[in-house]
Amino acid sequence: MRLPKFDYVEPRSIKEASSILSDDPKAKILAGGTDLLVNMKHRVELPSVIVNIKRIPELDFIEEKNGSIRIGALASLKSVYGNPLIEEKLPALTLAASSVGSYHHQIMGTIGGNICQQNRCKFFNQSKWWRSSREPCLKTGGETCYVVNKKGTCYSSYSGDIAPALLVMNATVRLESNTGVREASVEDLFSGDGKTPLHLEGGEILTHVIIPEKAATGFSMYMKFANRESIDFPIVGMALWASMERKEVRVSFTAVDRRPIRARGVENFLRGKYLSEEILGEAVGLASKEGAPVKTSLYSPSYKRKLMGLLLKSALKEAMRRQRR
Amino acid sequence: MKHGIELKINGDAYEVLVSSNQTLLEVLRDKLGLMGTKRGCDLGACGACTVLIDGEAYLSCITLAMDAVGKDITTIEGLSQGGDLHPLQRAFVEKGAIQCGFCSPGMILTAGAILDEEERPTEESLKKKMAGNLCRCTGYKKIVEAVLSVAKQTETED
Repeated sequence: MRLPKFDYVEPRSIKEASSILSDDPKAKILAGGTDLLVNMKHRVELPSVIVNIKRIPELDFIEEKNGSIRIGALASLKSVYGNPLIEEKLPALTLAASSVGSYHHQIMGTIGGNICQQNRCKFFNQSKWWRSSREPCLKTGGETCYVVNKKGTCYSSYSGDIAPALLVMNATVRLESNTGVREASVEDLFSGDGKTPLHLEGGEILTHVIIPEKAATGFSMYMKFANRESIDFPIVGMALWASMERKEVRVSFTAVDRRPIRARGVENFLRGKYLSEEILGEAVGLASKEGAPVKTSLYSPSYKRKLMGLLLKSALKEAMRRQRR
Repeated sequence: MKHGIELKINGDAYEVLVSSNQTLLEVLRDKLGLMGTKRGCDLGACGACTVLIDGEAYLSCITLAMDAVGKDITTIEGLSQGGDLHPLQRAFVEKGAIQCGFCSPGMILTAGAILDEEERPTEESLKKKMAGNLCRCTGYKKIVEAVLSVAKQTETED
């Protein structure tokens, strides 16, 4: 399968890359390529220019600075889960990174690319031939979103594994352009619009992720239910962060909405409570009410809601075992 | 637009004229005639196109040829030394880990990268890392046996 035609550039600095992106709104960043190039082969993404940022030297690092952990956008997923500092302090991130795709995807894929991946949907992630049997869907330039058979909103779901882990850690991202630099919470990075899932101003590039020192003071984990355990996108993914001392629990889900979500209903219910079997049932019930799953894959929304509860149950049980220690 | 690039493959430098939209797999097979690297799904899901780039297992069907400039590329053709099969290749033959042979180059290169990283992988860890290489003859058991036998050999040599 040939890739569509495009111009190719290898900028040497973030500023240079950013000015190419802001000059041409149809230019796209290439990092690991495991998402973008596949979408291009399917002709669902047709960038005019590919901006390969991998030759920019200062974007591949993992470091601890003033207690917080900073990860460069080009750090590979394998280098993230292979890092002993992250494994010790932020186990949810280790689990999330090691659950992405196959071994090859973890070598090629970057943390920045994983966060910024395209939303997915059974009508979108298909070959040109498959899609040719009907008018283009909303995300590919048409009018109707076939998931709900309505016009106006694209319901494709965000299915990344890394974002939920970062959400429960209250992580932020640094966005750099040729006109300035800003920091945004991971939560604010996502727009909630399936068609353009990221809130990025013209020319902005995610340069690194910053995980605050406090994230390491709690227990964290990431769990994912997928078709094939070894190499697949999540049907539902869930990250949990819990501090027993502060009696605070944070929960997030992926693949159940147009953006990765924090389960605030569950969090509010669990705040200040000692985790026990008695409150487990209610928490699980609340988890199933979070998000807005629609039938973007072969799995029904009700099945996804059931899974959300079950994943939370297993994670809370693990948290309870640690609470007793 | 065509670009004149130099690729370092199996220790040799090749000068090729490529379009920016050509993948490394297309250049290896169609321009250089290195047919050992297989085109399977062509979408980065089956592992048949695996090559080593700077010693790590990459999917050449979703790697741009332009992106491989300046890197050390190893394909299945570059594994044997002086006419002798690589220990992994020999193990695949001896253990009967080859049926139709289509997945073998990808399997062997991925296994090679894993053994470089982890000299004695457990069966579980090996299976997890090789899960991205599909064998449609379903000969997985023999493949795992072959790779583990090589890991064991290095153990006895120590």
